[in-house]
Amino acid sequence: MSDERGAEHPRPVRILIAEPGLAGAEPELGTERALRRLGPGVEFEVTGDAIGCLGRVQTWRPDLIVVDLAIGGEATKILAGLEAQAPPAIVVSRELAAESALESFAAGAADCVRAGPDFAEVLPAVALEQIQIWRETRARERLQRNARTLRGTLENLVDAMESGLLVVDARGSVSHANPAAERILGEPPGSLRGRSIVEWLSDGTPGLPLVRALAEGERVRGAESIAVCRDGRYVPIGLSLAPLAAADGRRQGSVVIFQDLSELKQLQRQVLQSEKMASIGQLAAGVAHEINNPMGFIHANLCQMEEYLADLRRLLDGATALTARVCAEGSPALRAAAMDWQTLREKLDAEFLVDDFAKAIRESIEGSERVRHIVQDLRAFAHRDDGEWVMADANRCLDSTAHIVWTMMKHSVVLRKEYGSIPLLRCLPLQLEQVFMNLLVNAYQAIEQRVGERGGSGEIVLRTEACGAEVRILVSDDGVGIPPLHAERIFDPFFTTKEVGVGTGLGLSTSFDIVRRHGGSIRAAARPGGGTIFEVRLPSAGPPAPPASGPAA
Amino acid sequence: MSDPARTPTLLIVDDEPRILSALRRCLRREGWRILATSQPDEALRWLAGERIEALLSDHKMRGASGLRLLEAAAGIQPSTVRFLISGWPDEISAERLAAIGVHALIPKPWDDTALRALLREALGA
Repeated sequence: MSDERGAEHPRPVRILIAEPGLAGAEPELGTERALRRLGPGVEFEVTGDAIGCLGRVQTWRPDLIVVDLAIGGEATKILAGLEAQAPPAIVVSRELAAESALESFAAGAADCVRAGPDFAEVLPAVALEQIQIWRETRARERLQRNARTLRGTLENLVDAMESGLLVVDARGSVSHANPAAERILGEPPGSLRGRSIVEWLSDGTPGLPLVRALAEGERVRGAESIAVCRDGRYVPIGLSLAPLAAADGRRQGSVVIFQDLSELKQLQRQVLQSEKMASIGQLAAGVAHEINNPMGFIHANLCQMEEYLADLRRLLDGATALTARVCAEGSPALRAAAMDWQTLREKLDAEFLVDDFAKAIRESIEGSERVRHIVQDLRAFAHRDDGEWVMADANRCLDSTAHIVWTMMKHSVVLRKEYGSIPLLRCLPLQLEQVFMNLLVNAYQAIEQRVGERGGSGEIVLRTEACGAEVRILVSDDGVGIPPLHAERIFDPFFTTKEVGVGTGLGLSTSFDIVRRHGGSIRAAARPGGGTIFEVRLPSAGPPAPPASGPAA
Repeated sequence: MSDPARTPTLLIVDDEPRILSALRRCLRREGWRILATSQPDEALRWLAGERIEALLSDHKMRGASGLRLLEAAAGIQPSTVRFLISGWPDEISAERLAAIGVHALIPKPWDDTALRALLREALGA
């Protein structure tokens, strides 16, 4: 480093001369004197042997070495001892035979000068030329070294970037991709080169802003796009595009920098979702309350109507039997009246009326049950943060919930209870019941769907067991099952596969929230032989640090 | 002491008249005398004036609380068996119910058969 800094502030030219001392036998060539003609700023050192000379090359860092062959074998040692990066050495000699000049060149001398009459003119010229070459070479080397360092740093930087970086040509063909780009796009190392980014960004339609920007060499800042990855994932990305110019100013393509926005999007969704949830929660609580009263009497009346109708049917059957008897045994006038009644009965299709009336009532009752569950869903959703943490028996919660929904499902479902001996749970019992309610209703609806498609009846198994410090609750059904496509999304708010009006899409999402608040987990798996198993695991000690009460204001 | 020939009386209170008529329909065949009102005040007047075997009250009524009504009823006629019916049974703590001496808490919508069974216990079949 200090060497380079020295180079930036030019220091005087230094020339190291190796020649016999004044006491030596050979007369002095006047080397230094000749070289002084280069100017006053040149510094000289004179040494008489190879060791001294090579030592000074290291420590004093001359720009030129002038070796007088008169120092004999030492000259050879000097030339042999100079390293590749050493400054040039000029050999001078009074008598320079061709072969010794060649030998000197072979030994590494940069030039040879015979000390003739023109020595004082030739030597400075040769020296100057060598010094210039040497300094230029050094400067070039330094530049190259700097460039290498810079490139290394840049490459490290690019490789270490969290953002994906691609260098592309005008058509989007990749010439360089950093590891983050490969990681974000799920590509193996090196596989992006030569491929076009248009292939995986957006749907590749020409004329898209991105494609146009690439072609026109425009700058794009903070655009959002979707990357379609090799494994089929869709990754939301934020992307910037800047044209790259070659040294001559011509366009060389563009550099694309992009970030994986999945997490950000997820967060945004969550924030949006929780805002949406909060306002929906308020609305839901109000609606749930208002709906419940009318649903109360609608449901009760329907049940009552079902009973009334059973009586009316008996009445109709009695009248039918009576008229049959009158037709057979009555007086002609009574017979005529009875026949009229029978005609009316047939005309009105009384059998059908009564049957269909009963069916209509039954279906309405089922509808009102559904509304009730939806109302409960909404309410539980609105009151997600209510309640007190107590020690409760999950078996009891499960059983009382099963009891509530039993009336709805008893026609088509066999309920098997396999309650194990489990410890008390630290929990919000009402919320747990809501979870169980959702699982039971889902199981029932899955069975209904299967029965509707293929007939038969269904079975729901409720099972509890202690599992270390956890309680495991399993609700399994032999209904239609969850298509693998939906498996990942079933716990998302508002995700529903049920027909409009049947489900709010809140049931499992609320359940998921509740279970998570309890420090537990919930998951769904396919049941062997068809259907679904929901598994809820709850730590019997409750969540690690139960929230004091409600969310922070 | 009780008169075996007497028709047991059930008093029902709900601020929604249609709930009252639905409850009447459900209980019509039980052979009890049914008094129904949407006014808690009127219910208390009845309690003060005659023998009521059972009282079934809604909880959340406009401007009134069923639990309060049952509490007041206990003061007027302690022998009345008191039931609370509520759309949101989980909002009412068991401790409070026990303190007031509520015989049972019935969820709304109710199950006809279960409701009749509960009331039969109190009123005699």
